[in-house]
Amino acid sequence: MSVLVQPQPEVAAPNPLQDSLRFERRVPPCAIVIFGASGDLSKRKLLPALYRLFYERRIPPSFAIVGSSRTPMSDDQFRERMKESVAKFLEDAPFDEDVWTSFAQSLFYVPGDLNKPDSYDDIRNKLDELEKTHQTAGNVLFYLSTQPSYYAEAVLALGEHGLNRGNGWRRVIIEKPFGHDLTSARKLNEEIHKVFDESQVYRIDHYLGKETVQNILAFRFGNGIFEPLWNRRYIDHVQITAAESIGVEGRGGYYQEAGALRDMIQNHLSQVMATIAMEPPTVFDADNVRDERAKLLRAVRIMKPEDVPKYAVAGQYGPAKVGGQEMPGFREESSVDPNAQTDTYAAVTFFIDNWRWADVPFYIRTGKRMPKRVTDIAIQYQAPPLGLFMQETKGGLREVRPNLLVLRIQPEEGISLRFLSKSPGSGMRVRPVSMDFNYGSSFGERTPTAYETLLLDAMAGDPTLYTRQDMVDASWQIVQPILDVWAHTNFDFPNYPAGSWGPKQADEMLARQGHVWRIP
Amino acid sequence: MSSAVIFPAQPEQILKGLGKLWTSLGQEEKQQGKPTVLRACAMTLIIATDDPDGGFSASQTISELVHEHPSRGIVIAVSEQAEHGLEARVLAQCWKPFGKAQQICCEQIEITARPESWPNIGPTLIGIIAADLPVVFWCRHRAALSPLASRKQKAGLEAVMSLATKTIVDSKGEDAELRLDLLSTWRRFGRIVADLEWTRLTPWREPIANIFDNPARENPFSSFRRIEIAHGGDKPGAAALYAAGWLSAPYKAQVSFTAAGAQDSAIQRITLYSDSEQIDFNRQGECMILRSTNGRERKYTYKEGTVDALMTEELAILGPDPAFDAAFERAQELLNV
Repeated sequence: MSVLVQPQPEVAAPNPLQDSLRFERRVPPCAIVIFGASGDLSKRKLLPALYRLFYERRIPPSFAIVGSSRTPMSDDQFRERMKESVAKFLEDAPFDEDVWTSFAQSLFYVPGDLNKPDSYDDIRNKLDELEKTHQTAGNVLFYLSTQPSYYAEAVLALGEHGLNRGNGWRRVIIEKPFGHDLTSARKLNEEIHKVFDESQVYRIDHYLGKETVQNILAFRFGNGIFEPLWNRRYIDHVQITAAESIGVEGRGGYYQEAGALRDMIQNHLSQVMATIAMEPPTVFDADNVRDERAKLLRAVRIMKPEDVPKYAVAGQYGPAKVGGQEMPGFREESSVDPNAQTDTYAAVTFFIDNWRWADVPFYIRTGKRMPKRVTDIAIQYQAPPLGLFMQETKGGLREVRPNLLVLRIQPEEGISLRFLSKSPGSGMRVRPVSMDFNYGSSFGERTPTAYETLLLDAMAGDPTLYTRQDMVDASWQIVQPILDVWAHTNFDFPNYPAGSWGPKQADEMLARQGHVWRIP
Repeated sequence: MSSAVIFPAQPEQILKGLGKLWTSLGQEEKQQGKPTVLRACAMTLIIATDDPDGGFSASQTISELVHEHPSRGIVIAVSEQAEHGLEARVLAQCWKPFGKAQQICCEQIEITARPESWPNIGPTLIGIIAADLPVVFWCRHRAALSPLASRKQKAGLEAVMSLATKTIVDSKGEDAELRLDLLSTWRRFGRIVADLEWTRLTPWREPIANIFDNPARENPFSSFRRIEIAHGGDKPGAAALYAAGWLSAPYKAQVSFTAAGAQDSAIQRITLYSDSEQIDFNRQGECMILRSTNGRERKYTYKEGTVDALMTEELAILGPDPAFDAAFERAQELLNV
């Protein structure tokens, strides 16, 4: 594999006047080129995030955004379209007409086809022009928000047209999915490294940009009381749930090829698991944090093909009536093959073969058309060694349920700790109560969206929350055996009705370990 | 929603009042069958005031601040008009964040104290501050901060300060030398103090700092050995002294002050001199203009923060503030030269 090493930008000497307690983090001037600018991601996430950063003066005055896609449009038409999208998709914030007018002055459009060399020349000309008119200092951040099949082609073309170098730094953000399997991910890495050094590549996993996922690190390593209990001696098992109530919502064509395991577990949820289970970094910087995440992923036990049916469950939703409304099954969704073998639900038991986690099951499940949209991580502590108390339940008395720590990622971000408390009245009966921390009520300010955080990080050259080549490689390695077995399995789909918590085989998978899925 | 007057202002009575308040807010939840109210508290914010409005404006300020810094607010209005020595009232400040269905509520306690009872407020406060959370004290009681403060006022101030993690004052319009003396005494006793006159400097400091970020800059900050600060009023106010301290602390640059003719003591212009370059930061209305003798000119928006905005910034820093500490110490050195 050839790796291109490019000179790193000069590191600024400490400025004695800077005040990190009060000043916003400095982001250098730059231009952002978005390929696939007329697509859904740009409209729903990227432009609203950039507008919001501009609104909050988090991006420098010397910046420009160049959108590019096949749709022929003028700058003004692009601005008008993006204005509608930003006004519609801005999260938790009002739209300000005056701010938009000012923001739009830095918004440009270059129509082009990724297959045509002329398009790259047009982009280069525009960037040269903006370097002078908008003082972008030659710094360019490319954002590949295109069909994944174009990633390698686009990056190689950037190299051929000399767009990977210039007067300032050059970086590229690549959206998921990063490859379709282990082989294609490695091939894609190889192609990208022909043009960009690893330090210039920002593989985005928007889950890592979520405030509450970042808060896991603060919670674990900023508090002294939890880390000593964060191991196999005290933790019985971990459940990670990422449920969506919606179906494929017009993405049937894409989703049919991807499936839940690829779409969620290979990337987002394996990164969340790594964040939950990684060792403390020695220093909180990009390399150290990512080293620990990668190390953790490499410690995940790779399943043997014969173990896959025991530790992984695929599901697909069928039609059902939810809330009085008929919901179609996956196979009835538009652009979906009526015999599709796609997993719209996946549940996997992972084991991490290291000193801290040996034999502790990490159950990960994700699915579409589940009862509600929720993402959380539940750390189930072991029961006390001696059952002194009985717990009051509707069905009478039973043994106590152990402590549960829930880290809620969405929608109500926060942390809950379940513990037992004596029920009022005579007799020593206990019942579980919950101690809640709610992110929104303790930090009144609006939390930035994942894309705001990640875009700003990429502009500032901080890759801590981006996935590195070895992390991507490791996460593909842990799901590849499952994908291989599933590819040769003829599932009896659908196996769970829309609006339920998944197939019964997933319950059985946990029951074999003496566990049950919690209801989030 | 607020309670009736609680007298005497015993901690248990006040806490009971708060309990009743939350119970009544909870009734709504019961009726609707879903959580409608979230109780939020990340610190205790105490404001002592001698404003003639009986603490009304302080309460208003808390209602703004809790959006970003949910807190148990305690307003101590010291007034001759108070009927009893110390009496209290509890209320909730609620708001609904944009796009959310649930209200967030913070509790507030208003204590009215007769001047002679203020020094006795300590035992009440100890019982009602939110446990285990930082306590920030914003002293808006101007008389107690003055060199002519009475013994009782000083004792009242001390009663609150002794509980505070951080004490905030606003030296705008005050005699800077006397105010720095007072803050210096507090600092000697290990108190963390903040001055909103320093907070007002952030819109000056940030653009000045940022121009020296570029490592390739021809004249680095260390080459600027002379600093001139033009201020309003007859003599430099606290802001001008802090700015001088901040700019001259790293390399002990020489500082001079000039009166710019404006009425209030706010900074009008800051000029940095090196052997080969002069950089001028000039405030013109809501605009700050940077002009350098090397031909650069740039305009920044300059908006002096409202007191609410200044406090919001200040409440985000609960521990030591090294930049302020260094600027303060250097400002004192400059005063003693």
